[in-house]
Amino acid sequence: MIIVKDLKRYYGTGKTEVKALNGVSFEIKKGEFVAIMGASGSGKTTLLRILALLDDATGGMYTIRGLEVSSLPEAERSYYRLTQVGYVFQDYALINEMSAAENVYVLSMMEGRSKKESYSTALEALDKVGLKGKHDRVPDELSGGEKQRVAIARAIAKKPDIMFADEPCANLDTNNSKQVLDVFKELNEKYGQTIIMVTHEPWHVEYVNRVITLEDGIMISDEIRTKS
Amino acid sequence: MINDIRVGALIAYCSIKRGNKKTLMFIVFVLSLIFMNLVFLPSMIGGLLGMFTGFMQDYPYGDIVIEPTGDNTYINNADNVLKKVRAVEGVRAATKRLDVGASISHKQKVVGVTITGILPIEEYDISRYPYIISEGDFLSDLSRDEIIIGAMIAGTGFGSEIYDNLGEVRPGAFVDVTYSNGVKRTYKVKGIMEGTFEVVDLNALIHYKEIEDVYGLEGKEATSVVVRVTDQGTEAKIRDKIREVGVNEQIFTWADKSESLIRQAMQSMGAIDIMSKIVSLIVGAALVLIIIYINVLNRKKEIGILKAVGITPRSIVLSYAFLSTFYVSLGIFAGLILYLTLMFYFQANPVVFYETIEISPVIDPVLLIQSIVTMLTLSVIAGILPAWSVSRESILKAIWGR
Repeated sequence: MIIVKDLKRYYGTGKTEVKALNGVSFEIKKGEFVAIMGASGSGKTTLLRILALLDDATGGMYTIRGLEVSSLPEAERSYYRLTQVGYVFQDYALINEMSAAENVYVLSMMEGRSKKESYSTALEALDKVGLKGKHDRVPDELSGGEKQRVAIARAIAKKPDIMFADEPCANLDTNNSKQVLDVFKELNEKYGQTIIMVTHEPWHVEYVNRVITLEDGIMISDEIRTKS
Repeated sequence: MINDIRVGALIAYCSIKRGNKKTLMFIVFVLSLIFMNLVFLPSMIGGLLGMFTGFMQDYPYGDIVIEPTGDNTYINNADNVLKKVRAVEGVRAATKRLDVGASISHKQKVVGVTITGILPIEEYDISRYPYIISEGDFLSDLSRDEIIIGAMIAGTGFGSEIYDNLGEVRPGAFVDVTYSNGVKRTYKVKGIMEGTFEVVDLNALIHYKEIEDVYGLEGKEATSVVVRVTDQGTEAKIRDKIREVGVNEQIFTWADKSESLIRQAMQSMGAIDIMSKIVSLIVGAALVLIIIYINVLNRKKEIGILKAVGITPRSIVLSYAFLSTFYVSLGIFAGLILYLTLMFYFQANPVVFYETIEISPVIDPVLLIQSIVTMLTLSVIAGILPAWSVSRESILKAIWGR
């Protein structure tokens, strides 16, 4: 589903050049739940942002379902982000002036669906992440875990091929973290959703079936796990 | 594009619905003042202009005035002109006048004036002279040795301290008039006229026949023929008709006269008006831009997030255009309420200018429409520019500042 070949991302030039990614290659199949791990500065977030088309690679190539997305023009990347990719941010990244439902259905409306259809899709997604009855609440009226679940609902409402999550539990306590990871697990197991999650918490690996570890921009291990 | 509009409208709607209401009220209040600034002064100037134009219509020029051609002092055969003019359809009334220069003296006080020879009965249908007699009576058809004196000359009205006057002449007093041809006559003051307008109050009126007699005219001359039309607004059409019936003198509508006289006088006011409008527009544009720009900067991260999740930059830009249009529309609405309240107040309580002249502002629909269109155009530009600029930034820079 995803093929990454010799992916590079350098910042700066000359003596100040930083090699955030220095030739990473791997493949991810449909339905995998992958954790990208590594110490701070290892390049895991950079990798995720490039894969989610939020940043550009300096070199190498990657394809999603056979399409080389790294070279797409911005308008098509925007369309791709809208229709094919779901992204869950570390700090939720919700629009504060929109209710939970509006945060979710704005994307369906962007895709051209009617307001009614978008709204019902949003409610369905919010139900799926356990937020039934909280669709009218704005982010300020939700707990951290609930906010993150709204962000997940936003990512899954459009039924993306792949969902990316950048340290989705970084701002959550253990209880809320478990709730969020349970949602991911359910999405992956029940709906076959492909999930690529950046994390630095060792106990998160319990939820995934593959762990890619980076160090100084290089992939140092790729471990298939049997979920407990 | 339709999706962009729908999403842009949704983002703007949510922002308005759940945004800070105090900030919204402040923005609307400031925008309403900008709108007021755009329309208030021009309305006052319009009132001033309308008042002076009205004076010109009510006293020296009527709706249409016919004057001698070239260097001629008189319209020759004025009676023939009058006959032709009165036959034109749409003419309500017409009269002839004779303006002459003279000096009036009373108890060693002398002032130079223009004396207008009028046919008193006809003036009732032509001008407001018969209706502005503050003391005594207006001239009658038999008033040959009588004179009406403007209040400023008589020394009884406002402005007497500015201009030379005869020292509080009252009806019944006798004044000596020395005409420009040297003829000297004594008249009894029949009335004092007070029009609160210099052209009137520094003037004097005498029976037309008296001027004829003094200057040895033959009953056919006039320095002007003043015409009133049945329906206001038809002046230009009737002026053309008067030309068509063979009147070869100079024919002006009151608007023609206003252009040459009033506009000259109002030139400096007009310049102030234009400058005030330009400054208001610049200040307005800058303010709307600043408000939207600050708004956009505060939401830079949100813009980045919206882009990151697949919302098109066009939707984002449109949302800000909608937002600023909404702000400005509310500002215009509040400004209109404020403006109309002030207009009605000043129409009921006119601004007193020069102690006697009352200026009521004029509500000009064209000016209002122009100002509304200008403000709305500004709002769209001011809304689009900063949002467009931020929406072009990379997602990473917008969200994380790098």
